[in-house]
Amino acid sequence: MDEQGPQLETLTRWLTECPGDFLAAPRIGSAGVIHVDAVVADLMRDLGGSTDKSMAAPFQAAPNPRGDVAKAQSNWMSVVLIACWVLHHPWFLAANRFSPLAYGLLANGLQETARVVAATKFISAPDRREELVRLCLAQLGLRPEGETVAQAEDRLTTLSSIGRQKVIQAARKAEQRAQAIREAMKKAAAEEAAAKYTRE
Amino acid sequence: MPLSESERYPLMTDAGRSLLRDLHEHPSAPLFNHHVGDRMDQESLQRARDFQNEVFERPPQWRDRQPPEWLQPFVNYCERETPFYRRRAVNHGTFTDIPTTCRADFGQAPWMFVPDDQPVDDLILYNTSGTTGHPIDILSRPIVSTMVVPLLRAALRTRGVELNGGAGRVAVAQICFQKRTFTFAALSSILGEAGNLKLNLNPLDWRDPDDRIRYLDEWAPEILTGDPISFYELTKLPLRRQPKALISTSMTLLPGLQKTLEDRFGCPALDLYSMNETGPIAVRLPGEDQRYQLLQPRLYVEILDNDGNPCEAGERGEITVTGGFNPLLPLLRYRTGDYGTLAYYEDAKTPFLSNVEGRPATVFRGASGQHINNIDVTQVMRRYPIARFALHQSSDGSLQLRVSDNGTPDEELLIALRALFGVEQVITISLVDIYEGKLVQYTTDLG
Repeated sequence: MDEQGPQLETLTRWLTECPGDFLAAPRIGSAGVIHVDAVVADLMRDLGGSTDKSMAAPFQAAPNPRGDVAKAQSNWMSVVLIACWVLHHPWFLAANRFSPLAYGLLANGLQETARVVAATKFISAPDRREELVRLCLAQLGLRPEGETVAQAEDRLTTLSSIGRQKVIQAARKAEQRAQAIREAMKKAAAEEAAAKYTRE
Repeated sequence: MPLSESERYPLMTDAGRSLLRDLHEHPSAPLFNHHVGDRMDQESLQRARDFQNEVFERPPQWRDRQPPEWLQPFVNYCERETPFYRRRAVNHGTFTDIPTTCRADFGQAPWMFVPDDQPVDDLILYNTSGTTGHPIDILSRPIVSTMVVPLLRAALRTRGVELNGGAGRVAVAQICFQKRTFTFAALSSILGEAGNLKLNLNPLDWRDPDDRIRYLDEWAPEILTGDPISFYELTKLPLRRQPKALISTSMTLLPGLQKTLEDRFGCPALDLYSMNETGPIAVRLPGEDQRYQLLQPRLYVEILDNDGNPCEAGERGEITVTGGFNPLLPLLRYRTGDYGTLAYYEDAKTPFLSNVEGRPATVFRGASGQHINNIDVTQVMRRYPIARFALHQSSDGSLQLRVSDNGTPDEELLIALRALFGVEQVITISLVDIYEGKLVQYTTDLG
């Protein structure tokens, strides 16, 4: 985040204008319509990079995976498509140098987030819009115009769906543990304890 | 739900079974109202023995303001595994920056103190008597009860007494004098399957009041544990057999009564400073300066002033402890509510407590002159959702009960207290000022 990027609002507004084509079902096996690998390849070229066949591999899903896998994979690919739209903003195209970092984000940087947030939320929900924009900027080593590094990091942490999910999971786990202990207390209250030798 | 014999005593032998039967079936046996065992299996027993070795071989030592080596790893463990401490993010800065904890913290949510890595399938529950505040649940394990024995042994050794135990005899008898309490005959695995009794001197607990004498003389427990009130009652019985020692807990054993007990029973009477949250902390040594020797190898003691700052060695303040041996209640800077001073022997690394001001025993007088133990008052009051209360008896015998506002009708409290003190008892009830500091719970103007 060492470098200053475009205004945050410019990109979040751009994201609200995401064309419907990017929200169509990604092609997996014989299902879906959008060839994600092709969209990524086009973006790489527009960002001033080159492509080769191997770069398409992460976006060519195996056909007929298990139902739950197919859902997760489809959501991730939809998130990739929406991120492609963000990165297709004229500011990035004009810079003509972000292709390698953008590819890293698309191929490896969105899986965890896509596991906990439905792709459409990245357009319809304001916080998720901001999260995706900030994720894209951070991956390219950029921070929103007018923000310090600390501010940008802090805001991204606050918005992070993965972080939030971890907090929710930790809280859920803690509550399950507390519940188990309360149950054990109830059982213990109804049972005899162990012989003591003194009274305190 | 009662446990089966094999659950109560996984290691029981025929000799143990025979002793337990004899203790129950003795012609002078009390009307035991409870069954309970030590629930020790081989692994637990070994761990208790390992603890005993540690107690004997590694007495607590540290230098002034230089906490022992085990302390920082313990703090790390607490923060990593214990929800309450984790939420507080205790492990930042120095040890003395860690926020203190108090009884109210685990009164609200005791489960928050159970470390995540501790199984709870053998959890047991003790409700404290609440002589210094509102009763709370202490979560524990069977082994914790057994681990008290090495600490009793260490305390006894300060007076040259060995608690031997062994099959076919009674090692410990806990003497109570209460209107009503659990009583039992049990076996102690760590004491070689010796008997461990809990007896109530209240004559109503016995078929014949003289059975109290016959039963105690017959089984001749090696040591007696109890509190000043029950031991005082015991002095009235013409017992022939003398124990090796008396160990008084729960309330401060004042030196006057201590001497009376030692003269009467011809053995040392020890004042053990102990609480449910920690187990035995220290034992008072003979001598004018009233020093208390610390007992637990992993219990770090600090003295804090009213603002929570550490006091200088020898300066009086609140006794605050870290560590302990109950795995379900790791204590981090726990303010005990008791006061004392901490100083060091000439070696500068062996700390001792003195001027410990625990919970003084209070004996009230009923309408017909009968003695009433403050524990019995607590047992009456604990039925009501009262955050705090104080009971004072004036020199004319009248009682003044002060309670925090809780919605319990005064009439209900009057009926409950008069059931204990007698229907003629004069009692007035008023509210505790919400801004009043810590209450001295039981006081009396009667001598």
